[in-house]
Amino acid sequence: MVSHNHTNATVRPKGLSDKKKTALAGYLFISPFFLLFTIFGAFPMLFSFYLAFQKWNGFGEMTFVGVKNFSFIFTDPLFWKSIYNTIVIGLLGTGPQLIAALILAVALNSAIVKFKSVFRVAYFVPNVTSIVAVAIIFTVLFSEQEAGLVNATLSLFGISPVSWQTSEWGAKIAIATMIFWRWVGYNSIIFLAGLQSIPKDLYEAAEIDGAKKWQQFLFITVPMLKPIIVFVVFTATIGSLQIFAEPLIFGSGFREESMTIVLYLWREAFSNNAFGTASATAVSLFLLIIVFTTINFFASNRLDKSGK
Amino acid sequence: MMKKRALMLLLAFVFMFATACGNQSESTNESKDKGSSEKVKLNMWVFGSTGYEKLAEEYMKDHPNVDIKIQSTQFDDHHNALFTALSAGSGAPDIAMIEVNNIERYREAQDRFYNLYDFGAKDIKDKYLDWKWRIGESADGSFLFGLPTDIGPTAMFYRADVFEAAGLPTDPAEVAQLIPDWNAYAEVAATIKEKTGKPIADNVELVYNALRDQAPVQYFNEKEELLIEKEPYIKQAYDYTVSLIQKGYLGSNGLWTPEWGNAMEKGSYATLLAPAWMQGVVKGNAPNSAGKWLITNMPGGAGNWGGSYLTIPKESKHPKEAYDFIQWLVAPEQQLKSFKDMGLFPSTPSVYDAPEFKEYKDEYFGGVNTAQVFAEAAQKVKTVYMGKNYTLVQGEIIKALTNVQKKKADPEKEWEEAIKRIKRQLERQ
Repeated sequence: MVSHNHTNATVRPKGLSDKKKTALAGYLFISPFFLLFTIFGAFPMLFSFYLAFQKWNGFGEMTFVGVKNFSFIFTDPLFWKSIYNTIVIGLLGTGPQLIAALILAVALNSAIVKFKSVFRVAYFVPNVTSIVAVAIIFTVLFSEQEAGLVNATLSLFGISPVSWQTSEWGAKIAIATMIFWRWVGYNSIIFLAGLQSIPKDLYEAAEIDGAKKWQQFLFITVPMLKPIIVFVVFTATIGSLQIFAEPLIFGSGFREESMTIVLYLWREAFSNNAFGTASATAVSLFLLIIVFTTINFFASNRLDKSGK
Repeated sequence: MMKKRALMLLLAFVFMFATACGNQSESTNESKDKGSSEKVKLNMWVFGSTGYEKLAEEYMKDHPNVDIKIQSTQFDDHHNALFTALSAGSGAPDIAMIEVNNIERYREAQDRFYNLYDFGAKDIKDKYLDWKWRIGESADGSFLFGLPTDIGPTAMFYRADVFEAAGLPTDPAEVAQLIPDWNAYAEVAATIKEKTGKPIADNVELVYNALRDQAPVQYFNEKEELLIEKEPYIKQAYDYTVSLIQKGYLGSNGLWTPEWGNAMEKGSYATLLAPAWMQGVVKGNAPNSAGKWLITNMPGGAGNWGGSYLTIPKESKHPKEAYDFIQWLVAPEQQLKSFKDMGLFPSTPSVYDAPEFKEYKDEYFGGVNTAQVFAEAAQKVKTVYMGKNYTLVQGEIIKALTNVQKKKADPEKEWEEAIKRIKRQLERQ
């Protein structure tokens, strides 16, 4: 904290050049963010790294245990299962979603659609809905009972009821559906912004050369959207590694079919009072995100080169 | 000049921020405001609908020197906020209500609370049910975390129409005779399944809990050692539940789900093994089933689910005044008021003989004196040490039972797996 008296003394114009004063004012102007970030961002992050090597139940003394927390979680099959689950749910939830978002954006961008602004708002609404409310509604839709809406709909096609909350794939598909529904609009709005920045004359030139609509899409739209696609894939990857609220509310009682990494972390800390292993999980997740982002980075670089 | 003014403004902001982040203990220590009367301020955190606000008003009338502020939040938020405040060592209230399962989390955090034995709680011990009092104590009994508020003794709710359709008696006394123990319960389950096709209970959880609660010891002993492999009781409860699952006698509606509520109204299952406060839940979920749900004794004894304690965190600057207030709040007379007002079931057996209890009738439950049924149950509950990892063990066992039911998994293998999962989590703490 900056002490009041001290700063008062520094403001006094004596002995400060104009340049210094301007600099000081600038620093003071940006200080609120840095203060807040230090307290609520940087400190907890760094503290997690410290805690990962301690044993602590939230009350008593912390005791240093070295890498024991890591050996606990790395020998726990549930931890690896949670990583597998997170990746599977992430792929199920984001892969089809990005393709759908791109198609929606292209449709919105075409000349034939009316009421564009209405659609834009409608697409975006799921994203600002409370996750908890969404998860509760989806829990009702994906009820395990035969009378649950999804099961009832499936039975019209002669498919027998699925245990959405306790079966390996049922739980994952249900949660992925939630993620799809929540983010598809958001990403299509971002794609739309990208589409609108593509110069129209490219399409006109292609038209004159006799290119068909699908060729225009493949050879103009997709290459021109590459930076946007890269950005969306990056954010979707990081986002899906952090899936938490949906499985917490949907799969009641930390069931292993829907256990994600962050849920595992949360269970350790706030249900079992084992803050050491929870922090070790957080550190592992941090490393995992770095790995995935690096893969993304190199893949998109390769794309860039091959596109040229 | 403009620049200078902006600078001053900014400085003022930074300074305000610095003080805001600083010590906030002033709010609890305003004994010298206005210099006139020395008013003691007490902050109290409760959850749910307790009706304590009214009682606090009453108390303040007789004690003008005390000013009580009650903040009521939702169950989970309340307990999380409290845990965070106690862990951080700042921001806790003068009086905190803690639910019976959540009090286990604080077994190792005695230093965060006042020992209520230091305020003379020994003298009022006899007014309360033994088993209830015991849970509020430390393992060695030297430390008292909190004073008992309400309890949740369990009984058997049953659908008279389903029993009738199965050709069984429907009168509460006769039903209690028909199902004195768990063998009889399984036989009745067979009859009901055969005659009506309906399951005997809503799901696996409440049947298992009922048996668990009747065991002399549960998951841990006072030394926090895991007992489920050494002692037979929990495995017996598990095996019994498994046998009902495998015969198809149990429904699969998860607790608190909308389907579970619907099934109450429709009468899709025959019995609900539940505590006193479930009466309100049944009425809410099944408004049109008045007279169809009746209540009688639980087979084999009774258990307890829910109820709370009032604790005084160490941060309080007025523990004496806080103690005087909570002692008054949970005294038999006030517990009777809470029972009449909000249906909180008293933990003080002396009021069970009050006319309000003796002449109690609930038209919704077919005019049965439900208060009497639960009062009898309350005195049958076994004293048990729960242990700080109670919820963890409970969760894993329910998971195993759910797998047996929903995935047709092998019960022995699931039991082994559950034990493995439990041990894996215990060694981390």
